[in-house]
Amino acid sequence: MHIPDGYLGPYTCMFFYIVMIPFWYKGIKWLKNLHPKQVPLLGVLTAFSFLVMMYNLPVPDGTTAHIVGGTIIAILIGPWAATVSISIVLLIQALFFGDGGITTYAANCFNMAVVLPFVGYYTYRVLRTKINDVAAAGIGAYVGLVTAAIVAGFEFGLQPYIQQGYCPYTFWVSVPAMAFAHLVTAGPAAAVVTATVLWYVKKSQPELFSMGEPEALRG
Amino acid sequence: MDRLTKTFLAIIGVLIILSPIGILLVWNYGDAWGEWDPSDLSNQVHEKLTGMEKLSSTWTHAVLPDYNVPGWEDKLHASVGYIISAVVGVALVLGAYYALMKFVSPSS
Repeated sequence: MHIPDGYLGPYTCMFFYIVMIPFWYKGIKWLKNLHPKQVPLLGVLTAFSFLVMMYNLPVPDGTTAHIVGGTIIAILIGPWAATVSISIVLLIQALFFGDGGITTYAANCFNMAVVLPFVGYYTYRVLRTKINDVAAAGIGAYVGLVTAAIVAGFEFGLQPYIQQGYCPYTFWVSVPAMAFAHLVTAGPAAAVVTATVLWYVKKSQPELFSMGEPEALRG
Repeated sequence: MDRLTKTFLAIIGVLIILSPIGILLVWNYGDAWGEWDPSDLSNQVHEKLTGMEKLSSTWTHAVLPDYNVPGWEDKLHASVGYIISAVVGVALVLGAYYALMKFVSPSS
């Protein structure tokens, strides 16, 4: 889901930098809410996110996809923490490993560090009132990842209408391709990993399960 | 450090050691959608992508491009390169995280 340099034109890239500024600002400010005990936990979760993204999973059409771990961070700490933590991961990936891009960095942050954790988190919050919360976490991760992939697909696919010479495929091609890879491979993987982690946390440290709640943070 | 953080540290260790699965499982697979080499894509669509060519070389200083030591092409070398990348990546991510935390200094 990492859009490389060159696939989005300058206007599209600039647009996403402008969009991301308030999200980064709010996210970094939100970190002040962290309980001192949560600081090392968010650190290891950030490293966890970097590592799970290295696990490329085979997609039946011959491509690959990976999970992000954003919904886990959003549920255990909070969606704003996920925004900051995944933005850090994406920056390191772009600078040192050539994964993603510099011009496309903000667009990638929007997809994986904003859309993914927020959609995942709120899907979980809504479902949790109706079904088992471990299952809700898994479904949240699935919905968050697939939604982020579809949003990335739209960015690829709108580019030919904005400026030519960059991503050549329109969204009729890019959206189904991005959705497919994440619906069949990475989405189910994200659901299983997230549900397993949350099941373990609930079992071993149930008090942490609710730490991402705004009420628990203020209390 | 609480128990959950310790558990995640152990998981991180396991994920680093097993990381080559992330390339071996997809060894004969193509790139992820939309992450192709610009010249390959240009040939594929029979179109000169001038903007892409220009922007794609924005940043050429990645030390471990594609999570590998340049030139380590075979499965064994690429796996070792991948593990090195995992270790370096985790160190850089944690370094950046704690640098930001120092700047933000939560709950102080």
